[in-house]
Amino acid sequence: MLSVDHGRTPFLPRLARVVSAHDETPDVRTLRLELLEQAAERLHWEPGQFAEYSVFGTGECVFTLANSPTRSEYVECTLRAVGKVTTGMAALVVGQVVGLRGPYGNRFPVEQWRGRDLVFVGGGIGMAALRAPLQFVLDKRADYGEIVVLNGARSVADLVYKDEMKEWQASDGVRVVRTVDPGGETAEWDGEVGLLPDVFGRLGFKPDGRVVIVCGPPIMLHYMFQALEKDGFAPDQVVTTMENKMKCGLGLCGRCNIGRFLVCRDGPVFTWAQVQTLPKDF
Amino acid sequence: MATKTINETTNAFQGAEAVAPSQPAAAAQKWQPVIAAFICNWCTYAGADMAGTTRRVYPATVRPLRVPCTGRIDPLLVVKAFEQGADGVIVSGCHPGDCHYVQGNMVARRRFAALRALLEFLGLDVRRLHFAWVSASEGMKWSHLVGEVTAAVREAGPFQGWGASGEPHRVPVSLPEPPAPPRGTPRPEDQQATAEHLQRLAAKLLDEGLVTTVIGYAAGSLPPQMVPAFATCADDARTLGWNEHCVNNLAVYLPAAQRQGGKTAIVAKQCDARSVVGLLQENQVKRESVVLIGVSCPGVVVDGKLALKCYSCDGEAASVCDWTVTPEGAQPGAQNSGARRAVAADPREALIGFLEALPAADRWAYWQRQFAHCLRCYGCRAVCPLCYCSVCIAEKNRPQWIPVTIDAKGNMTWNVIRALHLAGRCGSCEECTRVCPAGVRLDLINHRLAMEIEKRFGYHSGDDPGAAPPLVTFRPDDAGEFVR
Amino acid sequence: MDSLRDPLGWRLNDEGVARWLEELLRAGKRVIAPVENDGLRLFQAVDSPAQVCLVSGKTRWSPKEFLFPRTEPLFSYAVESDTVRLDEGPAEIQEQVLFAVRPCDSAGLTRLDAVFTGGEVDPLYAARRERTTVVTLACPEAEPECFCTAVGGSPRGEEGSDLQLVAAEQGWLLRPLTVKGERLTAPLGEWAERATEEAWERAREALQRVEESIRESTVARGWAAVLEGSFGLPVWETLGRRCLGCGICTYVCPSCSCFDVNDRGDARCGERCRSWDSCTFALFTRHATGHNPRPTQASRYRQRVLHKFAYYPQLHGGEFMCVGCGRCVKLCPVGMSIQESVRTAVAAAQEVGDAQR
Repeated sequence: MLSVDHGRTPFLPRLARVVSAHDETPDVRTLRLELLEQAAERLHWEPGQFAEYSVFGTGECVFTLANSPTRSEYVECTLRAVGKVTTGMAALVVGQVVGLRGPYGNRFPVEQWRGRDLVFVGGGIGMAALRAPLQFVLDKRADYGEIVVLNGARSVADLVYKDEMKEWQASDGVRVVRTVDPGGETAEWDGEVGLLPDVFGRLGFKPDGRVVIVCGPPIMLHYMFQALEKDGFAPDQVVTTMENKMKCGLGLCGRCNIGRFLVCRDGPVFTWAQVQTLPKDF
Repeated sequence: MATKTINETTNAFQGAEAVAPSQPAAAAQKWQPVIAAFICNWCTYAGADMAGTTRRVYPATVRPLRVPCTGRIDPLLVVKAFEQGADGVIVSGCHPGDCHYVQGNMVARRRFAALRALLEFLGLDVRRLHFAWVSASEGMKWSHLVGEVTAAVREAGPFQGWGASGEPHRVPVSLPEPPAPPRGTPRPEDQQATAEHLQRLAAKLLDEGLVTTVIGYAAGSLPPQMVPAFATCADDARTLGWNEHCVNNLAVYLPAAQRQGGKTAIVAKQCDARSVVGLLQENQVKRESVVLIGVSCPGVVVDGKLALKCYSCDGEAASVCDWTVTPEGAQPGAQNSGARRAVAADPREALIGFLEALPAADRWAYWQRQFAHCLRCYGCRAVCPLCYCSVCIAEKNRPQWIPVTIDAKGNMTWNVIRALHLAGRCGSCEECTRVCPAGVRLDLINHRLAMEIEKRFGYHSGDDPGAAPPLVTFRPDDAGEFVR
Repeated sequence: MDSLRDPLGWRLNDEGVARWLEELLRAGKRVIAPVENDGLRLFQAVDSPAQVCLVSGKTRWSPKEFLFPRTEPLFSYAVESDTVRLDEGPAEIQEQVLFAVRPCDSAGLTRLDAVFTGGEVDPLYAARRERTTVVTLACPEAEPECFCTAVGGSPRGEEGSDLQLVAAEQGWLLRPLTVKGERLTAPLGEWAERATEEAWERAREALQRVEESIRESTVARGWAAVLEGSFGLPVWETLGRRCLGCGICTYVCPSCSCFDVNDRGDARCGERCRSWDSCTFALFTRHATGHNPRPTQASRYRQRVLHKFAYYPQLHGGEFMCVGCGRCVKLCPVGMSIQESVRTAVAAAQEVGDAQR
């Protein structure tokens, strides 16, 4: 009969239950999921990888695995409700069962960061892509140098991970700088005011061996790369994630194709040096 | 033998409504028709309610779906009901003249006529689709209506499904060959002369800055193909040509040209100009942004033969044109070329007649086979000047009205809805049919609807830029003989 | 080839071929061949050899749907009180013979093999591919749109094929190219004679003439890099201007493989399916936020051309993804020509390169 194992096709998700939902902002929510067969088989992933989350009947969507694998009792994702599936996900209630398949994609090369100073620059919900590697390095704090978290959003209300930022600030050797766009500050705001690339410039980092991990909307990346270049950072010192629309996550459906890359297979983590070799198709 | 459809695994996964496989015979005996009823809140819903309060007994087969007004009933709702497995559909509302919203049902009446004509043409058993006016005080009428409809649907039997080919032993239907064309190939010297006048006119319009672009035809890479060409300077104008292979309807480029700004000239055959009139009627193009270069057209050739649409066309430039180009020259305005071209009866009408003479079940099998081949390439939509929606109904996903799946079921919904969206608007340029890789006879579907609209409402699309489209207007005395 | 028992194969007349097909059908194999209905020639499953249409001319679209269906359920779901029941459904994959496939179409299958089994293996495709034996029909003549030779193919190409059928005097020559193909010849009986080297030589000469009749000039493999370099040039605005954004080119193409995944059903039960999709559609890369990396039709047209002629080759030793069947050129509503676009873009890129030197 069938010699090819027609057991589980790679499209078949595992099942996970929503155990908590936390509203980061009016339109951004973080969900915490636990696999139904967790006891039998935990999910193993590396920081930077993503998974496909299913709301059965609505569809499937890609989100980064937003927590570090050093905390693998659960899986988290942070999402903004903008389309069909994200709206479906944002409407999930605790206890509901969803699908989860993964992990897919490549990872942040965290072993290359050992002993070096790190700057995490996250714009808006782009911060979600940085949370897993950030938690990872904090969980293995001794292996890494100085850590700076630079997080920006349009306004105070749009800042994500508000409580966690405080925890991170309180960690040893970690500096958190938060900024909102001009006009987005409130009277009580005690952080920076300015666009991320400008604030980064003001912080005056010297390149020397530092790794900069940048995630955010395409326009922000564009200006950040300019600021980094001005400050003398080499393209292979800068790491980012590509946010292309992905469907299958398996390198089959072709949707995330950019040049010779498939974001789901060759990314989503890329160095700025790699991004520069790609056609401007993102 | 009937050709099988490509994908047959669908039925394996039907959900909760599926009959338990262990009891097929018993289930068949107990089959209860599922009849979706789209009924307006103010009249029929209240009437149905009254049937209840007055304890009228009638079959429990109906699923009422309340809408504010029949005017709100998009044909898509009826189509989806059948797609989702309804055996029958009732559409009912206030009597004309009594609509709670004054005229909703009047507009609806026209829309329903188009819907019914199309579904009947596709071979849907008409015992499955019923229209009625039932007022709030007509509880008795409602109960009788449901009884009659239930009996009719029972007679028709369980609906095999949107996209099912019905009885597999049916012999596939083949359309008869159309008659020989009324005329032969045009004289090459006439074509060449027209082309030269066209080139000079285009160069002049561009040189004088009267337009920023002239869209015409130029030689393609597979002779004798002619393809759309964009001339933005006098040099480009020299590449424009004209012959019987200039098939494209260039009006398809106008909505985007309008958005880009500037003034655009297009070469327009009589059929193309009908689309331009449609775009003008619907405010997708401003009259002052477009220059219409009418051309005296002897008919176009598709697959080596004169296109069916050309049989009955005299080939003169449409009256809306700003210029007329003939072998004799280019004149301002819409001029008669003087060529008395032989015309014949529209062969599409004979083909439609052939299909309509068939039993409904054979017609249904014919269209099912056609739609089974549809690839959902949306070529029909892409070439149609009147499919200009920035987000097509097929692209809407909340909810996903048109199934994404490329199977007979999804294909049927797509093609039916597209035809209905074009009802009263389609200019019969037949580009959709020419480009369809699956050879689906979209021309017959669109033409059948056009015939219905013309018969009922005396409206012929593409004539008058100032006319109101027929399905957004009504006359109080519109025929509604198909409504109980 | 050394492992084949009868590399020279057989000589058959028309009745012999029909008889062979009958034997295959009788053995329970699904035979899929070109069938003509109402002027539309397509690959379809046949019940008898009489339905097979071998007159010249390709089918309207490629037979890829028999390995990569237009729509395919992946699994069904049913939400229950505390869990969701997922069911992959029965594996209904039958042994099938794709008969009289043109060499361009079988070359297309090798491109699909690269996509679906070259990295993460798609078990649905892989199972079908394993159960499929491909019998190619060497082209008796080239059609005006054909340009297989320009992209490394040939009317007698063997890529992706298990058996080759060639028209010869008084009938046909049939030879196995793979062990799988040879297995399919088991039913051949006394009505099939052994073919001779001379017969093959004469057949090859005829095929050589067919090959030479395709006048398209070669698309050089080295152009892949230059073509990618044309990405930002304005030539693409001109090339893509008349593209209307339908999916005809993609869907008739033997090597296009992109698909979409959607749920069909409701929150209670339904199935997740995958269906053909095209990079030419406006929504293909559009994010839910509205951001679209390919916002214009010209940028989408560019993607299709570059994927076929620049990106895929970079990952597959310079081999083009396009197999030169020409269907996209013939069936495009506005006559876009992919190889012409490649030449124009390469020329534009070279011009810029020259200007910079």
